[in-house]
Amino acid sequence: MERSPILRIFTLQPSSGVPIYRQLIEQVRRLVASGQLTPGTELPSVREVAAEYTVNPTTISKAYSLLEGEGLLQRNRGKPMTIAGGRQKAGALPQRLRQIEPQVAALVLAARQLDLSSIELCQFISKKMGEES
Amino acid sequence: MTVPVVTARNLGKTIGRKSILHDISVDVEPGSVVGIIGKNGAGKTTLMDVLLGFSPATSGSSGLFGHDSFTLPGDIRGRIGFVPQQDELVTMLDGQQHLEMAAALQGRWNRELTNRLQRAWELPMDRAVRQLSGGERQKLSILLALGHEPELLVLDEPVAALDPISRRQFLQELLAIAGSPGRTVLFSTHIVSDLERVADRIWIVRGGTIAWAGLLDELKESVVRLNVTARRALPQRLPLEGVISLRLAGHRANAVVSRWDESTLPALRKVLDADIDVEPLSLEDLFVEFHS
Repeated sequence: MERSPILRIFTLQPSSGVPIYRQLIEQVRRLVASGQLTPGTELPSVREVAAEYTVNPTTISKAYSLLEGEGLLQRNRGKPMTIAGGRQKAGALPQRLRQIEPQVAALVLAARQLDLSSIELCQFISKKMGEES
Repeated sequence: MTVPVVTARNLGKTIGRKSILHDISVDVEPGSVVGIIGKNGAGKTTLMDVLLGFSPATSGSSGLFGHDSFTLPGDIRGRIGFVPQQDELVTMLDGQQHLEMAAALQGRWNRELTNRLQRAWELPMDRAVRQLSGGERQKLSILLALGHEPELLVLDEPVAALDPISRRQFLQELLAIAGSPGRTVLFSTHIVSDLERVADRIWIVRGGTIAWAGLLDELKESVVRLNVTARRALPQRLPLEGVISLRLAGHRANAVVSRWDESTLPALRKVLDADIDVEPLSLEDLFVEFHS
C-alpha cells in the first residue's frame, strides 16, 4: 500500500509527558501556520497514523476532532480530512511566535540556570537552525 | 445505555488473614483499552483473576457483560480471551494440536488471523511445547486467546518474554483489535512505553487497590512538575494544590502536583515572584512519583 508522505511529517513520542493528541495538534498548528501544510492538503486517516506510529487510534481521532473544532481541519464525507481553506494562510509572525512561546519560556529558564547570555543562546539557536535546514 | 464489560463494586480478596485486594470499584466501558501498572506484588494478577471469576472475591462483587464473574454462563465465557502470566500449555502437545483444541472448544475460529500471526511470528506449530522457547510459548498463548475474536481480551504481562520486534508486531495486533468497535482490552505490563502507545485508560494498582483510574491523557495533563526559580527566598508553604512531592531550598523549588490547572500559572508566577517552568511527566516518572 502506498503511504502518504505526510505520514512521516509528524514526530509523535508516546513516552513524552505531553499526551499524544496534544503533540499532534501542536504539530498540525505549526505546520499550517508556517505554510508547510496548505489548504486542501489531505491528511492520512486516523487508522494510518495510528498504525504508522503504533499508537491508539482514539488519541489520533481526538486530535483530528479538536482541530476540526478549531476550524483548522475539514471533515469530508467518505474522503480524507483536509486542511481547511480560508483564514489560515501562513500566519502572521506574532501569531507564529505566540505558538512557540511555551517552549521559549522553558528554554529561557534553562538558559538562566546555566548562566547563558541571550547573545550566546541566540548564536547557538542560529547554528542549530542552520544545521537542520 | 451500554452495559459495562467489566464491573467491580467494593471488591476485596483475603487469603488466610492477608488482605490481597480491597475497596476496588471500577467500570470498564466497551471499546476501551485499559493498561494496568503496579509494582510487583501490588495485586495486579489477583485482580485480573477475581475480575474474570477464576478466583472468588471475599467481599463485594465483580461482573462481566452484566453477569456475576464467578458464576459465569458458558456462552459469556466464550466472549472472553485470556493470556495468563504463566502459560497453561500442555508440554507434550504441539502448537497445531493446541490450536485445534482451542478452535473445537470455542466453536468459532478465525483461521486467517491465526495463520497470519503464526507466519509473522515464525511460530513452529509442529513442535512440542516443551521444545519451544519462553517467547514462543508466549506467542502461542496469545494466538490461542485471539483466535475466537473475543470481545474482551485480558492479558497479564503478555510481552515480558517477547523480543522488541515481536513486541511491536503484537502491539500492532492489539491496536487492530482496539480499533474494532465494541472490543475491549485489559492488560498489565511493566513496559510503560508499550502502555503509553496502546492504552487509553490507566489503572495504577498500589497496595491491593486501584490508587488511580482514568484517562491516560488526563493523567498526563493533571500531574506536572513545577520548577520554580524565585527572585527572593520562597515561603515554607507554597500555594499549591495536590502536592505529591516537594523539594524546597532557598530560591528554588521543585514540586510535583496533581490537579494542575494551567490557568493559575500567571497568578502563581506573580505571587512567588518567580520563573516557573511547567514540565510534563512521562508515565514512568509519574508512576515513580506515585510511589514516593
